Amino acid sequence: MFLSKIWFFLIALAAAVGLTVALVMPRPAQRQLVEEEHNRLSVACGVVDILLFDDARGRVDLAASFARADEVVKALESASGADKLDEARMKQVRDSGERIMKGIRGRTPDFAMLIDKRGRVVARIKLDENDFGDTMAGRPLVDDALAGYLRDDLWAMNGTMYFVSAAPVIKRDPPLAYVGAVLLGHKVTNEFAQKLVNGLNVDLGFYLGNDDVAGSKTLPFDHPKMLKSLATLKDPDRGKDCEKAHPIELRANNDDYTGLVARLPGEAQSHGAFYTVVIKRPKAVGFAGTLKVVNKSDLSFNSFPWILVGGGFLVTLALGIALMWIESDRPLRKLAADAVRLAKGDKERLSEDEHGGKYGSIARSVNIHIDKIGRDAKSARTNLDSLLGPAPEGGLGTIDLLAGSLPATRPGGPAPAAAPPPSDFRFNDPGARSESGPLHDRPGARVATPPPKPARAPTPPPVPATTPARGMPPPPLARSSEPMPAQSTPKANPFEDDILGGGGSESTANVDPYFKQVYDQFIAVKQSCNEPTSGLTYQKFSEKLIKNRDDLMQKTGCKEVRFTVYVKDGKAALKATPVKEGG
Amino acid sequence: MFRAFLASVVLVVPLTANAGNVIGKLELPTVERPAAPVKGFLDRVENPLAPVKAFSPANQIFVVLEGDEKPVSPPQVVIELLGESFSRRVAAAPAGAEVVIKNVSKTSRTLVAAEDPKLIPQGPINPTGPKSFRATDVGKVYTIGDKDAPHLKLKIVVVNTQYVAYPDESGKFEVANVPAGSYKLKIWYQDKWLAQEDTVNVPAKGKVDVKPQIQAAALGAAPAKK
Repeated sequence: MFLSKIWFFLIALAAAVGLTVALVMPRPAQRQLVEEEHNRLSVACGVVDILLFDDARGRVDLAASFARADEVVKALESASGADKLDEARMKQVRDSGERIMKGIRGRTPDFAMLIDKRGRVVARIKLDENDFGDTMAGRPLVDDALAGYLRDDLWAMNGTMYFVSAAPVIKRDPPLAYVGAVLLGHKVTNEFAQKLVNGLNVDLGFYLGNDDVAGSKTLPFDHPKMLKSLATLKDPDRGKDCEKAHPIELRANNDDYTGLVARLPGEAQSHGAFYTVVIKRPKAVGFAGTLKVVNKSDLSFNSFPWILVGGGFLVTLALGIALMWIESDRPLRKLAADAVRLAKGDKERLSEDEHGGKYGSIARSVNIHIDKIGRDAKSARTNLDSLLGPAPEGGLGTIDLLAGSLPATRPGGPAPAAAPPPSDFRFNDPGARSESGPLHDRPGARVATPPPKPARAPTPPPVPATTPARGMPPPPLARSSEPMPAQSTPKANPFEDDILGGGGSESTANVDPYFKQVYDQFIAVKQSCNEPTSGLTYQKFSEKLIKNRDDLMQKTGCKEVRFTVYVKDGKAALKATPVKEGG
Repeated sequence: MFRAFLASVVLVVPLTANAGNVIGKLELPTVERPAAPVKGFLDRVENPLAPVKAFSPANQIFVVLEGDEKPVSPPQVVIELLGESFSRRVAAAPAGAEVVIKNVSKTSRTLVAAEDPKLIPQGPINPTGPKSFRATDVGKVYTIGDKDAPHLKLKIVVVNTQYVAYPDESGKFEVANVPAGSYKLKIWYQDKWLAQEDTVNVPAKGKVDVKPQIQAAALGAAPAKK
């Protein structure tokens, strides 16, 4: 069983390890998933930034293209020379600008400003179209454009955000001269945000401090959290925000999100302009959740090593069964077979050497008990023999004597070959005190057993099938049912009172029918053996029987004692057999 | 620009019998245009058609003549808010002078002096509306701006003289009716006095020419690339 125990330990250990792995594995997987989500978020943030750069480049190119329009150059050259701008000029310039705006393909600006070289707004297109004459010089973007630079910026105006770009307007006819600047503005809209994150599987929001500006989805996030994250971004290089910003946990519409905040450049930065890339946070699935999301493809032969698992299972099962068979089934069967042979009498003891381990121990224990029973039987037989003398051959043996509940016939066959020691009970002992005398049955000699057939009167054991060694068939004595015919109904006691020769007369009223029957049989057998019976009186005979019966009952705990008359060595003998209840 | 300067700053100078004019020209260096205070997604790039304009520091300079006399009947200093900028970026206010900021733009602004938030009366300056305050502490510098428009900045320096001039883009300036005497010519640039000081002796009649030279290093700017 040692290997089986080791095997079960290994199986239990493997199961525990498997369970632990199953319960623990979702956690690092979840962590890895979160980390990957963060990486994805960072990448998406960087991609958005790149797209915004590209968009800025496109807008600057558009502004430069706008500024090169001849009618714009001429209009601004003319306006720059005027001390005062009037409405007629404004409308004329605005019309020119509108015509150019209509010719723009793709993303059309949401507004345009045409600025003369003094920094005054000559005309506005699409936004505050009737305003003109105010000075835009002073804003870095405008100043740079008037100085000859192409650039972009981000403005916060009227609660929203505009990507603006500007280009100088240059009179190209010699002499070259700066005559103004063109400024284009593109509003940050939901559509623009959606376009930026298209295909990135993230969402994007643009914010001005606590105000939502636009987003790919309408998600009411916690602004304080985003502003707190925004405040941590201190690097002068805004382009590193996507790398350095820490993901933050956001919640909107009962959904959890992870967000990454990055600053927006330009003037709008002073208004707290930033954008946030968000992604829906994967739920912590755990073990049960992991099982729930398993699908068919996960269990397909291509994805799962069924052969390996099945093979491992079969090998484990086979190994376990083999160990069970080797260490348990086989020795148990062997022991069982050995026990059956013992029961059949094919052997007297279990083979201890053939059984190993605990089975050998069982065999040894059984053998020890068998030995003990044998010793007890021998002891009991010795005691009986000391009382009654050795039992006749073919008589009930020790086992019968001790196991009163056993059937009269010995199970498993005849009695052992070895005959019990002689148990002669002779009343014709020359040393007996009297050989004759009337039989006197002592009242109460058989306790609670009224003669001749008490309610629980034991049935005399059948005469053993085997012929006694002396060749004389033993009388089939039964205490009540089969008395010997010759002596079964003695009408009068022909003997003297004292069977040992010294006894007085005894009243027949005290005669125990059973003892009397035994006595009669004994006398008859003695006579048939030509033995003298003159000194044997019923009184002495019955007293001897009563004494022997009581001794035997006390020693063996039996309820009844059966006496059998038989012939041994040509002489009458008497054997006492203790009978237990039901025997 | 020079006309705007003349319109924005009105110096009421008492006529003096013995007074002369100081005419000068600052020899300004050609320096690189400073980097923009803010940038967009892209760095600004020069246009391919024409070289960018040279940077002139003149609109961030004023000149004062300081003598022994204290300013009497200090003049009113008027500065216009043009829209996204003031008529000047720096201005000198004689001690005790009233500084008036007029909003000639179409946008209302809320101006605050960073050094003294209570200096300017609270509330927005509506279009065409003025805000005024009195500058008293000599040497005090006020930075006036609108928190919603970081690019909108004005430096007002309280000076101990009423003889102030603002050079045009070429550096020319003139201080009229300066009583005869010896004066120190001091130059303010952006947010500080330049270290160089010239002594100007103003005659009782006539004019005196001064041509102070300013090095690029003094302006804290790199010389422009040729």
